[in-house]
Amino acid sequence: MEEITVQDTIICRCEEVMLSEIINQLESGSETTKELKLKTRAGMGMCQGRTCRPLLEQAVSFHTSNAIPCVSDLTYNTPIRPLALGELARYGKDL
Amino acid sequence: MKADLVVIGSGPAGMSAAITAAEYGATVTIVDENPIAGGKLLGQLYEDPNNGWWIGKNVAQALKEKVNRLGITCLQETEVWGISPHWKVQLNTGHEIEATNIVIASGAAEKPVPIPGWTTPGVMAIGAAQVLTNYHRVKPGKKVAIVGVDPLSLTVAHELKMAGVDVIGIFLPPSDEFSLHRSHPKQMISYLSSMSQLAPTKPLKLAGKLAKNRLIQNIGAALYPRNGLKVWGIPLFLRKTVVAIEGNEQVENIKVTHVDSNGMPDRKNVKAIEVDTVCLSGGLSPLAELAGAVRCGFAHIEELGGHVPLHGPEMETTQQGIFVAGNITGIESAQVAMAQGELAGTSISARLGLLHDEADTHIKNAQNQVKKAREKSAITFQPNVECGREKLNRMWHENLATFR
Ligand SMILES: Cc1cc2nc3c(=O)[nH]c(=O)nc-3n(C[C@H](O)[C@H](O)[C@H](O)COP(=O)(O)OP(=O)(O)OC[C@H]3O[C@@H](n4cnc5c(N)ncnc54)[C@H](O)[C@@H]3O)c2cc1C
Ligand code: FES
Repeated sequence: MEEITVQDTIICRCEEVMLSEIINQLESGSETTKELKLKTRAGMGMCQGRTCRPLLEQAVSFHTSNAIPCVSDLTYNTPIRPLALGELARYGKDL
Repeated sequence: MKADLVVIGSGPAGMSAAITAAEYGATVTIVDENPIAGGKLLGQLYEDPNNGWWIGKNVAQALKEKVNRLGITCLQETEVWGISPHWKVQLNTGHEIEATNIVIASGAAEKPVPIPGWTTPGVMAIGAAQVLTNYHRVKPGKKVAIVGVDPLSLTVAHELKMAGVDVIGIFLPPSDEFSLHRSHPKQMISYLSSMSQLAPTKPLKLAGKLAKNRLIQNIGAALYPRNGLKVWGIPLFLRKTVVAIEGNEQVENIKVTHVDSNGMPDRKNVKAIEVDTVCLSGGLSPLAELAGAVRCGFAHIEELGGHVPLHGPEMETTQQGIFVAGNITGIESAQVAMAQGELAGTSISARLGLLHDEADTHIKNAQNQVKKAREKSAITFQPNVECGREKLNRMWHENLATFR
């Protein structure tokens, strides 16, 4: 038998952002997932938040006691899937 | 490329929308990122006490044959990365397809369960274990622990067992800001017992019955046996949680402890249990990024699984010509997804003038089919999904003036 030791855990796996970093930001005044993204890069990775978005929203809602907003603050932007530069070049237009 | 309708996603919702519109005479293109059409249907395999075996792979095949027969263009292994105004669907092949109508049927994603160690190789989402076992016929591991108690995890536990995998138990997630009621033994017991009547699959029925058992109801969560009760030989631990997953190159063990009836863990007596695989089930949430990127109106409705695009009784979003169907509108069963797809396909055929003066009747019929599918198909992933639908309808009507 052992004791539980407080362990940190990854919240955004693309950008390897830990829960402790998220909580630090929330304790120093961040109130939205957008602020978290700008400060920690959580949600800014390869999957564009497809994996971590629900966790970030829950963390913000839990620590600020605000309901999760109707429109996600972690805005959805194109391209929503990773796109190789070659593919963009073939498309031949500006985003 | 041009089409009357582009459907994004070839799951049950997308294929049904495409088939309906094509049957009425529309030219349709489907785009899907996977090599094989079927979406989440491909992994589904269980016995439904009322209707016999539900073999998702066969349902998918039957839909795909119809798609082929109707001459619908089907672009597999192609990702949609955006939709630009009125309307052009952007593909990762460098092409774009122009269409006046779009159905986004992108399905759902699994929510992560961020237990320390959850990114170690050997940890996978429960849906991945389902597809490996039922579709690819590959055992996900030799000794498997499941974390998260819900219809999906219970069904997959049973499937793993049938495939000869040693499932050492189904555990609660740790109590934290992410698991909320899912880590709460009392709430899980009442949730399971509420399922016992509806439960469409044998495993679910059994778990529901077990929780509904008068003894368990009476003794309640406080006295739920610490060593779990067995469902088809798999211990269901409603009083134990996994606080960490450990292993260097690969999962080696999980750290397990008892919880009190409110889900609070015993911090002193943590035990390591050897496993080589952990399946996490954190629930499903609608995958709505494309609708978000084209600035559709949204609502956050817990009962539907999270953020869903606002949509009206004909499945159209706040962006004219962009429709939704299936799990993107809220987590429900495959049968509901198919009926919603048919409704979207019918509404679009009406817009295209293909239904002439029969439009209203056809749309009403399709709407009734959705209702019927909801009543009949008993797999409910979300408690109170009906209440969630009502909220969404209310918000749609309230917002109508601002969007149109
Ligand atoms: C893991 C899991 C297990 C489930 N098990 C059951 C079950 O046992 N029984 C049951 O009734 N229901 C189950 N469900 C609910 C299930 O989602 C529905 O049954 C049904 O499959 C939903 O249909 P759909 O057409 O909305 O989405 P899906 O079947 O998920 O299909 C969506 C398709 O769209 C594709 N797609 C998404 N975005 C893009 C893009 N940008 N570009 C190209 N393609 C894209 C996806 O790859 C996928 O092929 C399960 C859901 C999940 C997530
Ligand atoms: S997990 Fe956070 S961006 Fe991918």
